[in-house]
Amino acid sequence: MSFSFSEENNLKIASLMKRYPQKKALILPLLWMAQKQDGYISEDAMQVISEHSHMPYMHVYSVATFYTMFRLQKPTKRVIEVCRTLSCELRGSQEIKKHLLENYSDSYEIVEVECMGACSGAPMCTLDGKYLENLTPRLLDEVLNAN
Amino acid sequence: MQTKIVSKNFEIPHAETLAVALQNGRYASLEKLFTFTPQELIDIIKASGLRGKGGGGAPAGAKWQLVSDFEGKKYLVVNADESEPGTFKDRQILAKDPHLLIEGMICTCYAIGSNTSYVYVRGEYEEFSNILQVAIDEAYEKNLLGIDAKYPVEITIHRGAGAYICGEKSALLESLEGNRGHPRLKPKSPEPEFYFGEPTLVNNVETIASVPFIVENGAEAYTACGTDCSPGTLLFAISGHVEKPGVYEAQFGVGMWDYIQELGGGVKGGKKLKAVIPGGASTPILPAHLVYEARLDYESLKTIGSALGTGGMIVLDEDASMVKALKNLLRFYHHESCGQCTPCREGTSWVDKTLDKFIAKTATHEDLEILKSVSKSMNGKTICVFAPAASGVIEGFLKHFESEFLECIQ
Amino acid sequence: MKIIVDNTPIECKEGELLINVLLNNGVEIPHFCYHQDLGADGNCRMCMVEIKGQKRPQVACDTFVCENLEVFTKTKSINEVKRSILELELLNHPVDCPICDQAGECKLQDYYMDFGLYNSHLTTPKTKKGKAIDLGSNVMLDQERCVLCTRCVRFTTNITKTNELGIIGRGDSSRVAVAPNRPLNNPYAMNVVELCPVGALTSKDFRFAQRVWFLDSVKSVCHGCSRGCNIHIDYNETKYSDEKVYRFRSRRNKQINQSFLCDYGRLSYRELNEKFNSTSWGMESFKELLRAEKKVALVSPSFSLQQLQAVKEFCKNYNIELFSLPYADESFGDDWLKTNDTSANFTGVKELNISTCQDKFNSFLESSELVVNFDHNLLKVKELENKKVISFTTSKIEIKCEAVFAIANFAHESGTIINCDGIRQDFYATKYRCEAPRLIELLEELQ
Ligand SMILES: Cc1cc2nc3c(=O)[nH]c(=O)nc-3n(C[C@H](O)[C@H](O)[C@H](O)COP(=O)(O)O)c2cc1C
Ligand code: SF4
Ligand code: SF4
Ligand code: SF4
Ligand code: FES
Ligand code: FES
Repeated sequence: MSFSFSEENNLKIASLMKRYPQKKALILPLLWMAQKQDGYISEDAMQVISEHSHMPYMHVYSVATFYTMFRLQKPTKRVIEVCRTLSCELRGSQEIKKHLLENYSDSYEIVEVECMGACSGAPMCTLDGKYLENLTPRLLDEVLNAN
Repeated sequence: MQTKIVSKNFEIPHAETLAVALQNGRYASLEKLFTFTPQELIDIIKASGLRGKGGGGAPAGAKWQLVSDFEGKKYLVVNADESEPGTFKDRQILAKDPHLLIEGMICTCYAIGSNTSYVYVRGEYEEFSNILQVAIDEAYEKNLLGIDAKYPVEITIHRGAGAYICGEKSALLESLEGNRGHPRLKPKSPEPEFYFGEPTLVNNVETIASVPFIVENGAEAYTACGTDCSPGTLLFAISGHVEKPGVYEAQFGVGMWDYIQELGGGVKGGKKLKAVIPGGASTPILPAHLVYEARLDYESLKTIGSALGTGGMIVLDEDASMVKALKNLLRFYHHESCGQCTPCREGTSWVDKTLDKFIAKTATHEDLEILKSVSKSMNGKTICVFAPAASGVIEGFLKHFESEFLECIQ
Repeated sequence: MKIIVDNTPIECKEGELLINVLLNNGVEIPHFCYHQDLGADGNCRMCMVEIKGQKRPQVACDTFVCENLEVFTKTKSINEVKRSILELELLNHPVDCPICDQAGECKLQDYYMDFGLYNSHLTTPKTKKGKAIDLGSNVMLDQERCVLCTRCVRFTTNITKTNELGIIGRGDSSRVAVAPNRPLNNPYAMNVVELCPVGALTSKDFRFAQRVWFLDSVKSVCHGCSRGCNIHIDYNETKYSDEKVYRFRSRRNKQINQSFLCDYGRLSYRELNEKFNSTSWGMESFKELLRAEKKVALVSPSFSLQQLQAVKEFCKNYNIELFSLPYADESFGDDWLKTNDTSANFTGVKELNISTCQDKFNSFLESSELVVNFDHNLLKVKELENKKVISFTTSKIEIKCEAVFAIANFAHESGTIINCDGIRQDFYATKYRCEAPRLIELLEELQ
């Protein structure tokens, strides 16, 4: 099998096991762990998780596809998520999205997401999961060029 | 206008560290805590009238009692899924005063007789759950948590992974068990939630964060704030077309328009107010004339056909398109339906697609009828209240702003 | 205990599931996700009823009955509720019943006829999903027809525990699927086709073979092993050819197979359509053969009690030593339905005191000049040295025989068999006669 958890992660799994009444509850934490480790969740990783959690492969697969933050494909670019929900739209998320698509879609994967709980910093997006709030196209350029 | 109970330490630099937290009164309630029996504590919470701050406003004391009445293993699960559009208050507690939450969890666990607890944090809040984790680690180190604590409590953070519906308590527990986040069929009579078959209390972050104040100062100190039916305060939040979007704690019962003007800095760019969605996307919209008379508490918002929800207000100015706003919200519901039951899975999708025709101005009168009838079909026939909430949103928009929809008809 | 359904009292047990009570008493209640042998899931919301004292309509599959519960299933408002849910269900469903394999036994089709939803007023684009996906084990999936009742998923999760099927995705992009490179693969897989209330799961074996309304059906029992699963035999006779059996469907029997069949048994209908030749023999030469001094007969342990009885009498008259030997296949059985005894009526053989001693049979066989084989598989393939063989058979004989009498198989001759647990079961013949005579009548003639 081409996937295995790192030494360090295996230690973490051992201690996580004690924190839940059943191994099945490890599925979400381990999906996260696999994604952190590889950038995405491979079939092999789901197989390993299915063994750790004592649950069928199909269950793990079905769970993984329910949650939008889990990636089952290897990412080819860094990811920018733009919030498209109401508070952000009212404060210009469309403009941010347009700016991103026009200038950055070659080097970044740009995805729209629902409210990130940052409505007071609207419009907002995330870069590699980090929140960037109160955006203007100019501010965005600054951040992206510095990164 | 602000009354700071939960947000008292928000402005203090480094209040997330244990040292600063201790200097600023965190964990002080624990001294009093153990002078009460668990039942006495539950009675205090009941007397305080504390209501759930996750959107439903259910009396916390009664829920605690239900769980406490069971013998044996029990769990506390803190709901930090916070995904309701327009809501971003729990995040402040996680990031700015995580020890307040931990303190509240210790009190709550003691009251209901649980030693194991989880905080279910939405996946997107990685930054904030990391802050909370550091705080938890510190608390373990100082024996505030763990088996060597005066009252042993274990806290584990469980991260969601992008699913609004996991904020619904039974879906949350499904997710915590390692399943898809499908809400469960509802019990016919009052009973607690169950995690792997054991009775479980699910409360919102802010609900739990309000507990230490009540333990420390007594129920009366809490009921002294707010209204009779909605005692205390809420971390109201405000976003959209306002000058100063943010989270400002206030007592229940303050005027909505006062709040918007005083704390939110008024409508952005000095424009006129058109409408406010009062408590997160799931609460029916209020047109300006109702906003002026609205008070921020459960009962008064109910009487004017809306709800307090999470207290996250979204303000829309005179230029906002109601058609676009509704489309935006229904796209959210379409995207977030768990897909389990037919009326919701198909209904949210249909309404979203129908609204596209209004946006494109190619809608017909039949499409408007479809909106109304599908909205009706989604109400009261589903497993959870997600679809009825979507239905209420549509009804609210059509009730107050139907003319804008009529303008989009060919 | 009593409840009142549409003003009529119905007897039931406290705490029973309302939908079960309704179904058991023949009250029509539309439902997709509930299944008596899979339990409730509550996702389709079709089984809504009105309950006195409750503001909102309730789903019958999540309501437990209590004394004097008053239920209404057909009021105007409840019909309106069901109609609206059905309408939503039909939104993304292709309206091409004429080319759907399930047409005629599709619940969706039935219900929308019932609720008068002939023209769906869909005015927005339908959600596109996968068509004709091969899941494995002869099962094809059309995701666009699926109503996501999860019956198929619950079958592979809770019943076979093989877990090949699951729901993937979320919201209206939820769909039934197998994981990549992990096809549906278990000895009971084809049950999902029958469980599917609509035309989303179809069998490659039956797909488009025949429109269901051209089929006749008869109650029968599978003869694939000693479990004796209850079946319907679906068959027809077309103008230009003989009667043909198209499929076996499970017939619910709570005690034996619930609503399920194994794939082997389900597909064993094919043997019933096999064609083979018999030799024509005059009565005289037949009797001539029977004058042999030493004679032994072997009878199939899958014969019905009635057939066994007739064979027994026949052998007694002609002084033939009669035996039966079991069909045993150690690789066939499992811990659910399939048994290692792959005969249908070995219990019956024992009840009729037919000798089943292998050693005795061997020694009789050794010394006999004439062997009469009553459809026993053992003597269809193994050539016997220096012996004359008469065969009565329902399938092709591979060895040299003096005489071969084709006889009707169990689709054409009613009878009774006793299963491995001693349960006696009748099965019935289809209404058309086949060319081959029924054994009992043939033996009478030959007496
Ligand atoms: C669709 C839906 C989403 C919800 N999302 C949240 C949420 O993000 N956070 C939360 O605390 N409660 C949420 N709730 C409410 C919870 O189900 C539950 O009532 C609450 O966590 C109980 O805590 P409380 O009584 O302290 O408010 C949601 C409910 C529904 C129906
Ligand atoms: S109402 Fe919607 S979100 Fe709730 S269970 Fe049904 S499909 Fe899922
Ligand atoms: S394929 Fe058929 S049985 Fe399976 S969920 Fe869809 S409709 Fe139900
Ligand atoms: S288990 Fe035996 S009786 Fe049942 S269907 Fe299979 S072969 Fe036939
Ligand atoms: S709407 Fe964009 S963060 Fe809430
Ligand atoms: S049969 Fe009751 S909800 Fe499907």
